[in-house]
Amino acid sequence: MDYQWDFSAVVTYWPVLLVGLKNTIILAAVCLVLGLFFGLFVGAARYSSNRLVNWPATAFVEVFRNTPVLVQIMWFYFAFPIISPIEVNAFTAATLGLTLNTVAFSSEIYRAGIQSISKGQWEAAKALGMTYTEQMRRIILPQAIRRMVPAFTNRAVELVKMTSLASVIAYGELMHQAKTISIIAFNPIEMYTSVAIIFFVLIAPLSLLVQRLEMKKRKSS
Amino acid sequence: METNQNTEVLCLEGLKKSFGDLLVLDNIDLRVTKGETIVILGASGSGKSTMLRCVNFMEVPSGGRIILHGEQVGKENQNGSRTYDEKSLSDLRSRVGMVFQHFNLFPHMTVKQNVMEGPRTVLKCDQAECERRAKLYLDKVGLGWKADAWPSELSGGQQQRVAIARALAMEPDIMLFDEATSALDPELVGEVLETMKQLAEEGMTMLIVTHELGFAYTVADRVLFLSKGKILEQGAPEAVLINPKEEATKNFLRGHGSFRLPEPNLD
Ligand SMILES: Nc1ncnc2c1ncn2[C@@H]1O[C@H](COP(=O)(O)OP(=O)(O)O)[C@@H](O)[C@H]1O
Ligand SMILES: [Mg+2]
Repeated sequence: MDYQWDFSAVVTYWPVLLVGLKNTIILAAVCLVLGLFFGLFVGAARYSSNRLVNWPATAFVEVFRNTPVLVQIMWFYFAFPIISPIEVNAFTAATLGLTLNTVAFSSEIYRAGIQSISKGQWEAAKALGMTYTEQMRRIILPQAIRRMVPAFTNRAVELVKMTSLASVIAYGELMHQAKTISIIAFNPIEMYTSVAIIFFVLIAPLSLLVQRLEMKKRKSS
Repeated sequence: METNQNTEVLCLEGLKKSFGDLLVLDNIDLRVTKGETIVILGASGSGKSTMLRCVNFMEVPSGGRIILHGEQVGKENQNGSRTYDEKSLSDLRSRVGMVFQHFNLFPHMTVKQNVMEGPRTVLKCDQAECERRAKLYLDKVGLGWKADAWPSELSGGQQQRVAIARALAMEPDIMLFDEATSALDPELVGEVLETMKQLAEEGMTMLIVTHELGFAYTVADRVLFLSKGKILEQGAPEAVLINPKEEATKNFLRGHGSFRLPEPNLD
């Protein structure tokens, strides 16, 4: 109990932490955008009645849902370069791992969201003469996406947390920067305390948003 | 004038539909002339919904021909079967209005947007034309004053009338009603039947599946009784509803005891 807290190194190395924060946000944002975008297609593929389309999509989703993200990131950093034609640096490996993971989870959110729309909505749109794409774009997706927003926000929270795993392959995100500083300044206690606080400040508003959205959703249904 | 009134809007020839081994429609022949109101009766499971759904290809028929305004739907293959491309089916559906038991309004759109959606997305009408149609058809069903409301703010009867306006806004050649009042509380049935009656009087061509025999009696030009996928009996309402020939029709009518004939008209 007589530990003397000393946050001076945190102040000294603040710019280094800021770089980490910036990289954390970039990694999370890139993976979120790519993951949600491609997740729509994988979700649509899983919804397809064509086995040649839905089987690979299902296999993809199951592989990424049933292996640890840490393993996925390590795999893309160490194993993937052997078969990859392009160079794989830490950012690419982390982006691949986290994006594909997000694709897998968000495709399930899309699929569940689309399936939650009643058959009558498809029928009414079809009976008006809309093509499949028009039914999807004008009638189904606008309703489904509203229902998906809480789940997607939740995914964003998980994603921000998962970016810290990229520290194991030395990508310069928050956690990696903190580790580096703590070695130089011999202050792991203060460093990791600070990192925890920064993550909390970053994530708590998102979590609060999820709760708000879920409350609103419950009220409206 | 006579020839004009006899224009054939829809013709079903030997229409067949099966789901797997289950034959649901068995050789249905039907000619519908312009302005005709046909009520289809039949026990649950007799194929009424399937028959309507084949007309606009919500279900693809297993055999037979469907001719809308003299044009047969789909392309004929070498072996006599037919293929239907999405474009020609959506084109057909845009000319056939359908009203469902559960209304199926689009909950993310206001009443007016619901009515404008078909003209806008399917017919590619410009904004002014969409607005004109929304106003015209919402007024027709008596709901112009609810244009900016959300579907969830309306009673069931009002929602169904909006659904009718939405179908009318496509200015279809024929309207299909599949038990349009079955999901409504009894006190809301009247307003929807009244709207349908008004359409019939204005000369809309309609195929109506309903259990409202009083409505069938007063509004229909012709009543069909469907049994096990066949048209067992058809004719003027008086003939089918009061002097049915077939035992199955009599049984069916007996099961709908609440049906009362209107008082004889003495003028
Ligand atoms: N999509 C479907 N798949 C399999 N069977 C169906 C389908 N739609 C209807 N049926 C069957 O077809 C028969 C007629 O149904 P339907 O046309 O809905 O009758 P109705 O409207 O007269 O009650 C029923 O036995 C029903 O179970
Ligand atoms: Mg039915």
